[in-house]
Amino acid sequence: MVLQHVWGLFVNPKREWVSIRDDECTIGKCYAFHVLILAAIPAISGFIGTTQFGWQIGVGDPVKLTTQSAGLIAVLYYFAMLVGVFSLGWMIHWMGGTYGAAVPLSKCVVLAAYTATPLFIIGLMELYPVLWVNLIVGIPALAYTVYLLYTGVPIMMGISEDRGFLFSSAVLAVGLVAFVALLAATALLWGMGLEPQFTQ
Amino acid sequence: MADQQTYNYTVVRQFSIMTVIWGIVGMAVGVLIAAQLAWPVLNFDIAWLTFGRLRPLHTNAVIFAFGGCALFATSYYVVQRTCHVRLAFGPLAAFTFWGWQLVILLAAVSLPLGFTQGKEYAELVWPIDALIALVWVSYAVVFFGTIMKRRVRHIYVANWFFGAFILTVAILHIFNSAAVPVSMMHSYSAYAGVQDAMVQWWYGHNAVGFFLTAGFLGMMYYFVPKQAGRPVYSYRLSVVHFWALIFTYIWAGPHHLHYTALPDWAQSLGMIMSLILLAPSWGGMINGIMTLSGAWEKLRTDPVLRLLVVSISFYGMSTFEGPMMAIKTVNALSHYTDWTIGHVHSGALGWVALISMGSLYYLLPRLFGRELYSLKLVEVHFWTATIGIVLYIASMWVAGIMQGLMWRATNADGTLTYSFVESVQAMHPYYIVRFLGGGFFLFGTLVMAWNLWKTIKGAEPAVGAIPEPAAAH
Repeated sequence: MVLQHVWGLFVNPKREWVSIRDDECTIGKCYAFHVLILAAIPAISGFIGTTQFGWQIGVGDPVKLTTQSAGLIAVLYYFAMLVGVFSLGWMIHWMGGTYGAAVPLSKCVVLAAYTATPLFIIGLMELYPVLWVNLIVGIPALAYTVYLLYTGVPIMMGISEDRGFLFSSAVLAVGLVAFVALLAATALLWGMGLEPQFTQ
Repeated sequence: MADQQTYNYTVVRQFSIMTVIWGIVGMAVGVLIAAQLAWPVLNFDIAWLTFGRLRPLHTNAVIFAFGGCALFATSYYVVQRTCHVRLAFGPLAAFTFWGWQLVILLAAVSLPLGFTQGKEYAELVWPIDALIALVWVSYAVVFFGTIMKRRVRHIYVANWFFGAFILTVAILHIFNSAAVPVSMMHSYSAYAGVQDAMVQWWYGHNAVGFFLTAGFLGMMYYFVPKQAGRPVYSYRLSVVHFWALIFTYIWAGPHHLHYTALPDWAQSLGMIMSLILLAPSWGGMINGIMTLSGAWEKLRTDPVLRLLVVSISFYGMSTFEGPMMAIKTVNALSHYTDWTIGHVHSGALGWVALISMGSLYYLLPRLFGRELYSLKLVEVHFWTATIGIVLYIASMWVAGIMQGLMWRATNADGTLTYSFVESVQAMHPYYIVRFLGGGFFLFGTLVMAWNLWKTIKGAEPAVGAIPEPAAAH
């Protein structure tokens, strides 16, 4: 069913994780019914926000992107999220052995996909790209994502909570490293002339 | 010589306690200057309260006073325990303590008064530099003297890291401080122009590499296995990444001088060496994390272990971020922005401070023969410190990227889109978040200080008898 676990992850995350685990979802299904839909929220919101409303740095007129440039970024953004979820799932699978969890890749991808739910949904705020507003809304969403990770790992991976704590911390560290890599990659592309086109 | 039957805990105790005190002082100054950046009125128009005077005080206090005392304390403790012998040259060890405290006091007076050589992380004027050199050479004599009279043949890997840190810092400090004095408080560098800049950043980056990394890896290699109650995950990896680390770090300095008058080939060399550095850095991180991973069943009952987990994670994160920022194209955006400040603090707060604090939680109760007063308070410390670091680095990421983009934005006619002051104005909200992050971290440190104070209050100093070394096998 489309988006069936989203509500439960906010209302009763532990119970929902158990039901996600028992679903035995495949990677394809998980993407079709969850990731492909939710990842569109930030991509589309970002497109509308940066072309229609723009953002203001300091004083002066709001900065906007041209439709073409924003469109290209939105598409790249969308695919980056799809790849990102799978890569994180793959990393979880790869680290699983260390933490005594022998779980198929599909389950790890599902774990990554559902953990990211709050971040996908909060992507809605990109409609209004004012950084400090985004931070105020984004930090709780990020915190909840981390909470979902720590509750989800022991349940999905079938390991004790103590061990899950370490595993979750390792996943978090991988996520942070991936984020920094993304920052660096953006700055690199930017420096090589692939910068966004602004309308001024 | 009954004295030779026990470890010298006195000097370890002194340095441990001063670590806590200087930690509070240095971090409090940091929070103050973070507040000044958000609300400049807080310098009250008093010269010695201005950011320019207090910033070097903050960096010197946290790096050399807090970090330095932590390194002295732990290296003196570890070298005795792993060599099964009392610290060599007792009076000289006492001199390193009192000498180092004198250096810190002189720094705390001279920096706010505005006396500086203008070299970052080497601001102190030449007479203080001379005193540092004297104390540091004494430190080396005590440390290596102890190694020489060891009663076990093998030199434990933590001592390799401590030893490399002591030797390299001695060389770095002496070469970078070479200067021609013209008065008691003023001198000119022995090097001119870009050579001076290169020597400064050869020193500066290796202050990070050896003072803030190798030394603290020494700490990790003793206190992590001890607290986890498990052997090092891979001893071979520890030795391999030791040699790789010390060989690579020393070349990385030029990445502080991208796009300056430094020859281009030197910049590129610095960038490549910085990228290679990722491998030995992660060797250390993996070894630390894997050692802890075997002790997962203790995590629920032991918040100190959790502190160590987080510290090694931040070590991994910031040693990944560093090479990324050393890439010239990335550096063109990130340099001179707050991204750098955030990077430094993910290393300094996340790695250096947390691993030191974890070690203090291990060390102080044992030095006074007491149990730690409250594990609950360690838990509080753990969460406030972690939240503080996350707020700090997240706000600096956003602020830094924004600065970088604003500074390079141009209009169609080639003029700059934003004036500098507009970028300053745009930083205000992030500087408030950074101030809050620093405040959280300082609060955690105060909780730790209270906890440790309750632990040792009224306790008799412990006496550590030296056990016979196990038979060779």
